[in-house]
Amino acid sequence: MDAMKIANSIPMWIACGIAVALVIVQAVVFAKNAYSAGKKVGLTDKQMKGAIKSSAITSIGPSIVILSGMLSLLITVGGPMAWMRLSLIGSVMFESIAAGFGTSAVGVTLGADKLTPLALDMAVWTMILGSIGWVIFATFSANRMDKVQTKLTGGDPAKLTAISGAAIIGAFSSMSASHLVRLNKNSIACVLGAVFMGVLVTVSDKKNIKWLREWNLTISILAAMIITAVI
Amino acid sequence: MSNNKDFFEKEYMPRMHRIGKLTGTLGVVASFLPAVVLAVFYGLLPRPAALLTAFISALSAFGFLWIVEPISYFTVLGPVGTYMAFLSGNISNMRVPCASMAQVSAGVEPGTDEGSIISTIGMATSIVINISVLTIGVILGNSVLSMLPASVTEALNYLLPALFGALLMQFGLKQKSLAGGILVFAILICVAINAGLFNWLPGAANYLATLASVFMAIGVTLATYGKKKNLEKK
Repeated sequence: MDAMKIANSIPMWIACGIAVALVIVQAVVFAKNAYSAGKKVGLTDKQMKGAIKSSAITSIGPSIVILSGMLSLLITVGGPMAWMRLSLIGSVMFESIAAGFGTSAVGVTLGADKLTPLALDMAVWTMILGSIGWVIFATFSANRMDKVQTKLTGGDPAKLTAISGAAIIGAFSSMSASHLVRLNKNSIACVLGAVFMGVLVTVSDKKNIKWLREWNLTISILAAMIITAVI
Repeated sequence: MSNNKDFFEKEYMPRMHRIGKLTGTLGVVASFLPAVVLAVFYGLLPRPAALLTAFISALSAFGFLWIVEPISYFTVLGPVGTYMAFLSGNISNMRVPCASMAQVSAGVEPGTDEGSIISTIGMATSIVINISVLTIGVILGNSVLSMLPASVTEALNYLLPALFGALLMQFGLKQKSLAGGILVFAILICVAINAGLFNWLPGAANYLATLASVFMAIGVTLATYGKKKNLEKK
């Protein structure tokens, strides 16, 4: 039987659909609990709805990038697996590399040779085994890391806020740096994104323009992206 | 207030930890479903020796990341965020930006109870949107997506670097000297990685930049924290 027919068969859609549904269920259950807890600790509906809106606006751009990455995976391992892998523990780069390891272990080069059913099975297994390590470690260490962090800050909430803020700066610094050092158009996009954001944040804060604050990020990214592509 | 604190720590967090562990375990089990389908419906079983080879390749390329990434991002994501982000993936390019922007919008600080609640809501929103877009995309399939003009696909390459630069500016403006210093530090680390100085580390050394930058930022903050407080008192 043709490997691609197997990869895109109804049973595969169902199996992958269950896994994808689980991710959604987790998110919804967490969000519902968080929302009602938010009310108890004194967050307003307005704050929480605003957070949802702002996160939704921020999500659109990266979602489209992930979608365009799914294309390459779609061709190599079929729709259901590409869909599931990018919804569950996935990142485009990891998945294509892992799939490649799997197929090459039975002598099939992913993307170049015709996929055999065995190579498909190997790709699926390698993608699964290669990715569950993240979930297992994260899931069973979160409790412990929480305790370490509390110890580190000595239970001082202001200290925890300070290091969380610092960690965010550390994370975005390294992500920006990885593009800046390439000295290509990615570096230009990164610099432009920062410059536009700097201007918009300053303007919207000084003049207190609320709608602009919500769209700061989207406008900066779009402008930086388009300008970089044109020059 | 003490009631709220009690509720958050004694009721809310233990419940979230339970949900996280349960859904995380179910997620690991569910990810094997496609392999089960291939075995049951199509009689396809992996060759053990070949699978071991493939697994060892994956282990040496990513195994280190399984441990380093959850540790690197823990302070950013918080415990609940860690459960969600590592089950859904796409952490740096989506979960962290969305959680942070949600906190900015609600006007809450990271690391507080309110911040943790808001980041959970923000992250869940991003997961639902992410999966919805992927689902629409996979249903429409190649045909529609391949109709996108080349200029659009090229421009999409620049979305993430622009996003990272913009986010660094958003949060760096509040702590200019820290952000400036850490950015220089991160650039030096990236240059060193590209020069091959860290090739002795397992896997691709790229994770080092995030790990080192996050902990350097935390370290600097902890080291200067006491001093700052004293200054404020004076």
